[in-house]
This record gives sequence, structure tokens and C-alpha cells, in this order.
Amino acid sequence: MSAQEATSSIYGGTKLNYITNGSTLKSWLLTKDHKRIAIMYLVTVSMFFMMGGLYASAIRLELLTPASDLLETATYNKVFTQHGILMIFFFLIPSIPAILGNFLIPIMIGAKDLALPRINLLSLYFYWLGGGLTLFALMQGGVDTGWTFYTPYSTTFSNSFVMLVGLGIFINGFSSILTGLNFIVTIHTMRAPGMTWFRLPLFVWAHYAVSLVMVLGTPVVAITILLLAIERLAHVGIFDPSIGGDPILFQHLFWFYSHPAVYIMILPGMGVVSELISNFSRKKIFGYEFIAFSSIAIAVFGFLVWGHHMFVSGQSLYAGLVFSFLTMVVAVPSAIKMFNWTATMYKGSISYDTPMLYAIGFMGLFLIGGLTGLFLGSMGLVVHLTDTYFVVAHFHYVMVGGQVIAYLGGIHYWWPKMTGRMYSEFWGKISAMLVFIGFNLTFFPQFILGYQGMPRRYASYPAEFQVLNIFSTAGASVLGVGLIMPAVYLMHSLVFGKPAGDNPWMHPGLEWRTSSPPPTENFEKMPVVTWEAYEFGEESGLDLEEAKRRESVAV
Amino acid sequence: MSSQYSDKFVYHEPGLQHQFDDMGQQEESVSIGMWMFLVQEIMFFGGLFTAYLVFRSRYPMAFAAGSNHLDAFWGGLNTLVLIVSSLTMALTVYYAQKSKRMMQVVMILLTMFFGAVFLGVKAIEYTSKYNDGLIPVTGLNHKYKEDKTAHHEDAKPCWEVSHEPNAPVHHPPNPSGEFQWADCSLVKYASDKNLLTDAEKIGYYSNGVVDANKFRDKVRIFYFIYFVMTGLHALHMVVGLGLMTWLLWTAWRGYYTAEYYMPVEMSGLYWHFVDIVWIFLFPLLYLLGRHFIH
Amino acid sequence: MATEHNHEHHEHDHMNIPKYIGIFMILVVGTVLTYFAATIDMDGIFPGANTLVALLIAFTKMTFVMLFFMHVYWSKRLIWLAAVGSFFWLAIMFAYTMQDYVTRADGVFTR
Repeated sequence: MSAQEATSSIYGGTKLNYITNGSTLKSWLLTKDHKRIAIMYLVTVSMFFMMGGLYASAIRLELLTPASDLLETATYNKVFTQHGILMIFFFLIPSIPAILGNFLIPIMIGAKDLALPRINLLSLYFYWLGGGLTLFALMQGGVDTGWTFYTPYSTTFSNSFVMLVGLGIFINGFSSILTGLNFIVTIHTMRAPGMTWFRLPLFVWAHYAVSLVMVLGTPVVAITILLLAIERLAHVGIFDPSIGGDPILFQHLFWFYSHPAVYIMILPGMGVVSELISNFSRKKIFGYEFIAFSSIAIAVFGFLVWGHHMFVSGQSLYAGLVFSFLTMVVAVPSAIKMFNWTATMYKGSISYDTPMLYAIGFMGLFLIGGLTGLFLGSMGLVVHLTDTYFVVAHFHYVMVGGQVIAYLGGIHYWWPKMTGRMYSEFWGKISAMLVFIGFNLTFFPQFILGYQGMPRRYASYPAEFQVLNIFSTAGASVLGVGLIMPAVYLMHSLVFGKPAGDNPWMHPGLEWRTSSPPPTENFEKMPVVTWEAYEFGEESGLDLEEAKRRESVAV
Repeated sequence: MSSQYSDKFVYHEPGLQHQFDDMGQQEESVSIGMWMFLVQEIMFFGGLFTAYLVFRSRYPMAFAAGSNHLDAFWGGLNTLVLIVSSLTMALTVYYAQKSKRMMQVVMILLTMFFGAVFLGVKAIEYTSKYNDGLIPVTGLNHKYKEDKTAHHEDAKPCWEVSHEPNAPVHHPPNPSGEFQWADCSLVKYASDKNLLTDAEKIGYYSNGVVDANKFRDKVRIFYFIYFVMTGLHALHMVVGLGLMTWLLWTAWRGYYTAEYYMPVEMSGLYWHFVDIVWIFLFPLLYLLGRHFIH
Repeated sequence: MATEHNHEHHEHDHMNIPKYIGIFMILVVGTVLTYFAATIDMDGIFPGANTLVALLIAFTKMTFVMLFFMHVYWSKRLIWLAAVGSFFWLAIMFAYTMQDYVTRADGVFTR
């Protein structure tokens, strides 16, 4: 039996799908198929997630005791810096767009591929190149400046590999820009006949908004890193106050991107949650236009608030006022989404499958994360809370409790579509619970720690903070188990999982009308769309009898 | 029944990529894609313009002084050269749309010629900066050895250094290739006319007297911005010339006709963008202090 | 979308060589104008008048290049939005950064 036949027999029988259509290494590495590119992203992104997680374990182990005993302070600085860099630039920012966005957007809009497939492949190459360079720098000795690279430490005093890591992040930025560019073009020009803007799934709207942020924001961090590198080489002193330079200028330019970057991280997650909540409540999403426009509003307003990272850095009081006010404003579109999701669930027919557990978890955890962001956006409180563990807890609630959980929900939801296999629901539910419990146990104590005054980025701390730190580390172990389990049972399902069929969830999206895994051209016949989004009825081709039958049998 | 599947037979025109249904869709996609790329390029240069804005508004006299030592003649010439190259680029697209192979090739060659002239002039300018000790990085300037036989007049205070345009240029000894700046006459001028900003009143003075070293440091910031901005722009020109080389080859082979000319149009968009960046760089870097010269 | 036919006029119905050269001449005039305007001291009108004049001329030149050399005049609305929107985004970056510097104690425009 040839390799082709062997894979065919596991994946989709005798008909060719995107996995079996070509089994040489070259056919994968030089592919133009958006689905293969997505899978290659999945493998690399998971690798970076694991590495970032190892750094996180080192941090939590060190913080078990008040003294800096496991790691020296200098090493600890490198560990938290690298945890941040790997997680933000190489895991969170690419995660949903590069994997789920790449895989699903053409299918969801009824196209054969993205508009610019070779640019998509180039995007992947830049990701590998940037990631490879950064890993190389990490192995040489890494960086210790914090992922924020604040000057003048990063330009003048740090003895670590700032320029090499900076170069890795710079190159990675091209990957982000090209992905965003590709999505914008695709969503404008490649929609199937009948697929109007307001029939698009909200997942696509979310990715359109994200792409705007990627294209408008990423080049600014690119030029900032370039200036940082040149300054480090040339020692001119543009960020050195003693000769007239300004360290705050670096922060302005850095946060101009890095604040919208957090919206790059969360908006795709919100897109996934919109899909999950609507589909698993078997109800049309409440307030479709509001959710669609709120994604665009978040993308736009997200560019106006970056100064809230600089309240105590030395920017003027007036600027702080303006940024604080706008920070309150930018919370409104996110709140609109939360209300709409809740209203969607009301009187819906809810099934608690693993993806839905993650979606509900998102709603609760993002609520806490988002609200604590407002605490940090008010100028009185922020003086007390800046650079404490309160900030750490806030951003982990939104980034992990929000984005990572949405990412896991999305991976589980579309796993049968991508692989043709169902994962084990039993283990899925167990690990979802473990992630939720472990996450809260890890990060909730950190709100208290921060409020009590424990500073962030410190390897040693006063003894009175130890008890809460021990809780936090214990929680991290539970969280770690909960995150490793999907890696195991998802891989297991690749060989031993039940074949999924076209539409295992009985959901109305266009992606569920093609086979699992889909053929290379996505559809056997390109669709013409005549139905609205999220229609749970005959019009969208759902077999209602079959759906009722499955519901009565389900757990 | 719910969905109807379309089943059209598609004739694939030459040059049509497989993911597109027809040429119109491909052209539209490529056009939006290129403009999105230009949008991010605008934001890329925008970061540098922000840095320029911040420092110029703080130290306008240092910027004016630094700018006056740039040669506006070469800068102006380069502006005209780029505008001509934009014209020839637009004509390249025009001839591609008319399927005129030879004229396309001629226009591309002219565009490349003017692009090369631009880079040549930049090389002349950068060399002169090297010779005058105006590169803001220690060690990258011409290292003039100490001339023990030369007369050393008593050094004038920096605000009395004259700025005669045709004065013989004297290069002080510079064994370590440092940034050199001796002329802070503009500080006195601005102080007399009450034009100094608060930051300048602190930044140029030590003990109530103009400090030549402090002023030199601010002028050095100007030159840093000058070199980074024009250097990045020149890098984009080099990429543009590479793009033109590819275009030259494919146009010579006759790829571009009235039915298929998008690559020429898209390359044109990039070239015009690089021109537009220079249209802003020229007045902001070269001309900002001219009105102070009497 | 995929099956829509583009009914817009293309620039090759409107632009010809004399018109391209005409735009070119406008750009040359703009360049010469900005060079000489920079030598006239306009600080009497208000400080910074020279810079304003220079920027106005530069904006005009850019507009001509974008509309006629880059054919934005005949392009779809989306392209207009991209061209105009990117400058709006630049304005956000400049304005919100400068609002910090302008309002500091060592304000940039204070005397």
C-alpha cells in the first residue's frame, strides 16, 4: 500500500481531500493551499506555545519561594522576557488568524482559496524565519529587557541579544502584515455569488477587523524596532534624556502598535465565540449587525488608547486624561458583544459540548479581565496598581482566559472539519474543566497580590506574599495538565477517532456543507448563497429530523 | 431546496491564477492587495515622521542649523529627478495598456536611469557628509589627522562662527571620526528674536551661556533622523530598481499587453509611492531653516 | 465580487501623453515654488508659516501624483478609502503623540 493509499484509507476513503492530495514534503512546503498552510501554522504555533509554557513553568516554580533561589535575578529577567515574547509574538498574534482564519475564511465565503495564495505561503516562511531567528537568539543567551524593550535599558545598558531578537520580531511582523492584507483582499473580492457582507459569518467580520489592525499597526512596531536597533549600534542617543533624547518617544511608538496588538489577539477569539455561542444555542445570533460593527469599532478605537500603558512613565497629565477617557469608551463595543452573546443564549437550545464549555468560560473570564482593565484605565487607581501583579492578572485574564480559551474552543469545534475525526468528548470536557479551574486558581490570587503591592517582574518578594504565590503555582500545575491533555487526545483522534462526516454538529455554516476533510478546491461545486447567516432551518440545508434525533441521544 | 450550486465552465485566460473566476476579479484583488501594502508602508515611514515631529518641535533651531548644512541644490535636483522618473513610470503603464512593447521597454529603462541618478546623487551627498564630519555615529566620519604645522587661531565662541556660503571649509582634527559641529549662530539669532522653545532654553545652555557641545548633540539628533529617513528611502529605491529589473525582463519578453498589464500598473504604484515619500522628505529635511539665512 | 462586471471608466479612456506631461509640469512648478518659498522669511505672519506653506505645496504635489499618476481618480471607492484612510491614521499617530509633548511643562510651543 503506498503512502497515498494509506493516508487515503484513514482520511476520507478513496476520494482525494487536501491532506491526501500530494504526500511529498515538497507538496507541503511549496503548497499554495490555504488549508495546508493552516496546518503547518498549527504545528509551529503549538511548538511555540509549549516553549512559552515551559518558561511560564520556570517563573511559577521560582515564585514558590520568596527568595530568588531557583533562578538568579538576571536569569529570571530573561525568563519572563522570553515568556512574553514567545507567547505574544509567536503564539497569540498568529494563533487564530493564521490557523483557523487561513483554513476557514475561504470556505466560509465560498471561495477556492485566499485571493493571494503565494503571499500566504510567504507569510508562513516569514513566520518560520522570524521564529527561527528568535529561537537562535534565545539559545545564544536571550534577552532580559522585558517584552516591551523599554529604552534606555534596551539601547544602552542591556548586554543581551536585543538586536537579534528584535530582528526576529521584525521579520515576524511581515508575516502578520501579509496575512492581514490577504484577508482584506479575500473578503472583498472572493465571496461566492449571493454571499453579501451581512450574510458573512461573524468569524469573517472579526477577521476583517483584525486584518485592518494588522496592516495599520504592525509597520509602526517594525520601525520602532528598527530605530531601537540603529540606536543600539550607533549610540546617538535619541532615547537618552541627557543629550536631549526622549525615552517616552520609544514608548509612544512601541505602544502605538502594541495596544492594537492586544486587539489583534482578542478579536479573532471573539469571532470564534460568536460562532460557538450561536451554533451551540441552535439560535440565530442576537444583534448580528451590532456584533459586526462592534468588531470594526474595537479595531478603530483600539488605536486611540495606547497612552494608558504610559500613565506613570512621564507623559503629560492632559494626555493621560484623554487616553483614560478613550479607554473607557473602547470597553463599550466589547460590552455590546457580551450582551449580545448572552441574549443569544437566552431561550436557546444549549448543548454543553466541549467547544461550548470553552465559549462560556470565555465569557466569564473575559468579563473579569475586561472590567479589571477599566480599573487600570482610571488614573487614580493606576498609580497604585502599575507594575504590580494586578496588571499581570488582568492581561492574563484577557489573553489566556479570553484568547487561549477561545482558541481551544475553536480548535475543538473545527477539528472534525480539519481532520475528518471526532476527538473524545469525555476527555474534552475534563480538560476544559481543568483549564478553567486551573486558570482561575493561578491568576485570581494575583489580583489580590497586586492590590497588596507585589511588584511584577521580580524574582524575589516579601514573605507575606508567599501563600498566594503557592496557590498560584498550584493552579498553574492544574492549568498545565489541562493544556497538555488536548495535545494528547487530539493527536490520538487523528488515528483512532471516529470519522466525523460532513456536519457532525448539525450546524448551518457554509464550512459544514463540504466534506471533512475538505477537498483541495474546498467545494465539489462552488456554492451560490441564498440564505442568511445562522439560519437553523430547512432553508440552510439542515436536516432537522436528524438534528432532533441526535439531540435526544446526546449526553 | 436550499442551495443551488453553480456549474459554469470557465475559460482560463493566459495569466489568470487558478483561484480566480475571471480576470476582473484578479485585477481587483491585486489592486486592493497592492494598496494595502502601500497603506502599511505609509505607516512604516509614518513612525519616522513622528520622531521627526517630536524632535523638531522641541529643538527647532538645532534642526534649522543642521538642515542649512544640507545641500538644497542636490536635494532639489533629486526631487526633480524622481518626478521625471514618475512620469516615465506612468508612461510605461500607458504603453503597456496600448500593447506597445518597445516603448514600454524604453520607458522602463528611462525610469531605471533616473532612479540610478537619484542614488548617485545620494552617494555624493553622503560622501560630503562623511568628509564634513556630519555622520552622527562616532567612527564613521573621515578621521582627519592632527596637523601640527597648522596655525591654531583662538577658537571663536560657537555663536560667532560665520556661515558664509563660500567660505573655505576647514576640517578640524578628528582622529576618532566623531560628529563635528561648530556653528550655533542660529541660537543667538533665535534668542534675540525670542523664538526659542522652553526645551531649547534648557537644552542649549550651561550656566546661562550657550554650550557648543549641548547644541552639537541636538544637531546630531537631526542628522540621525536625516540619515535614517533618507537611508530607508534609498533602500526602498534600491528595491524599486530591483523590481524594475524584473519588469524590464518580462516586458522585453512581451508579457504585457492591453489584456494583461496589472504587474506594470502595480509596480508603478510602488514607484509613485517612493516618489511621494521624497516629496515630503525634501522640504521637511532640506528647506526648513532656509528662511533664517540672511 | 466574482461575477460583477466593472462598469467604471478606466484612465486609459481619459489620460494621454499630453495630460501626463501636463501633470508633470505642475509637479515641477511645485518643486521650484517650494524651493523659493523656503527662502522667504514668513515668520512675521506667524511662527511656522514657512512650514505650513511647504506642507501645503507637498500635499498638493502628492495629490496630483496619487490622483493622476496612480490613477486613484478612476479607482473604486475602496481605493479612495485606503488612500485617504491611511493619512487619517498618520494623523492619529501624530496628533495623539504630540498632545503629550505639547501639554508637558517644558511645552514645545511655549516661550
